[in-house]
Amino acid sequence: MEGVSYQRFPKIKIRTVRDDFMKFELRETDASIANALRRVMIAEVPTIAIDLVEIEVNSSVLNDEFIAHRLGLVPLISERAMAMRFSRDCDACDGDGQCEYCSVEFHLRAKCINDQTLDVTSKDLYSSDHTVVPVDFSDSSSGFDNSDTRGIIIVKLRRGQELVLRAIARKGIGKDHAKWSPAATVTFMYEPEIYINEEMMETLTLKEKQDFVESSPTKVFGINPNTGQVYVHDAEAYTYDDEVIKKAEAMGKPGLVEIHAKEDSFIFTVETTGGIKASQLFINAIEILKQKLDAVRLSSDTVEADEQFGELGAHMRGG
Amino acid sequence: MNAPDRYERFVVPEGVSKVSYERDTKIINAATFTIEREDHTIGNILRMQLHSDENVLFAGYKLPHPLQYKILIRIQTTSQSSPMQAYNQAINDLDKELDHLKSEFEAELARHAVRQQREF
Ligand SMILES: [Zn+2]
Repeated sequence: MEGVSYQRFPKIKIRTVRDDFMKFELRETDASIANALRRVMIAEVPTIAIDLVEIEVNSSVLNDEFIAHRLGLVPLISERAMAMRFSRDCDACDGDGQCEYCSVEFHLRAKCINDQTLDVTSKDLYSSDHTVVPVDFSDSSSGFDNSDTRGIIIVKLRRGQELVLRAIARKGIGKDHAKWSPAATVTFMYEPEIYINEEMMETLTLKEKQDFVESSPTKVFGINPNTGQVYVHDAEAYTYDDEVIKKAEAMGKPGLVEIHAKEDSFIFTVETTGGIKASQLFINAIEILKQKLDAVRLSSDTVEADEQFGELGAHMRGG
Repeated sequence: MNAPDRYERFVVPEGVSKVSYERDTKIINAATFTIEREDHTIGNILRMQLHSDENVLFAGYKLPHPLQYKILIRIQTTSQSSPMQAYNQAINDLDKELDHLKSEFEAELARHAVRQQREF
């Protein structure tokens, strides 16, 4: 027996895309989908991060576990992560988690031999797989900081200090440890709909209009200098703080403006650590959510058991 | 020493089934689905999708305790449907919606690239 479909057909409009940043509008769906996608992007899209460190020599000022922790937090290019295996269900290495299907090996060797302080950075990590390397921010087109980029500092060494180690990077998800989260920030807001009661607005003096416009902590409204008309300057600057509504009431003009959140329109902001592209993060999130849904389908034996139960029930009821 | 297993939160233990189904003994067409190692992500989208089914009289989910890594979904339907049918339908509809969303996003990404090129 096949039921009627209640499927929705959401729409998307992209505003900005850069490698590690994206802003887009999601429409014609509800908050549960928007929130599920946000949650999956933060905690369930896999990346690769250093998970095991074997230290051979460490005469730096930082202790071994401190360095291991810092290495774990270095974002690695994780384009491969979706196709990679989790070490816990890799049968090629029997849970050892050190084979080519489920891990990437790194080596680091640094020694300071002069009076100049040596910065050990993510660029000193040598990977066994050229597709899995520390994220390089130096040629990022996102603008800032283009001079003197030597990667992410792990530790500083003075004369005579040395650091030699071997590290194993594995696939993981943010739910396990935040170092595996591909997301720097993922947020969404409801699109506000602002309605100005023009007739009532015209009963205000210019001073009152200015007071009203300035009552908003963010610049949502503006005043046309020529006509003296109040207009919506930036609807999305509204933080749902209700300040302008309260102001209108205090001025004895309730209903001067009406603001409501459109229940089916969301503005997403996605920022990644650089491990995967922002656009890819969203695509991966959809894929992971689909896999999760697939995993919660009822197994055929549960269905059969219930059908038998149903027949028995019908029989007992005399059907 | 007594640290819990790292992936205890998202890997279903051996011998435990991912989804189990239990009919209500007192109310007709009502049942509870127990889903192991899932949280609000799945619980809330299923609940909301079930609400759009007009044969569903009740649909709710709960995460009983933050350290019990499972959710309970309770469904009651009219005699025109059954909790199991509604549950399967909700999953199918969500799955199709996500398929649509993916192709929609990829198409928009291509359109956006063209728009960007025209600007330069
Ligand atoms: Zn392996």
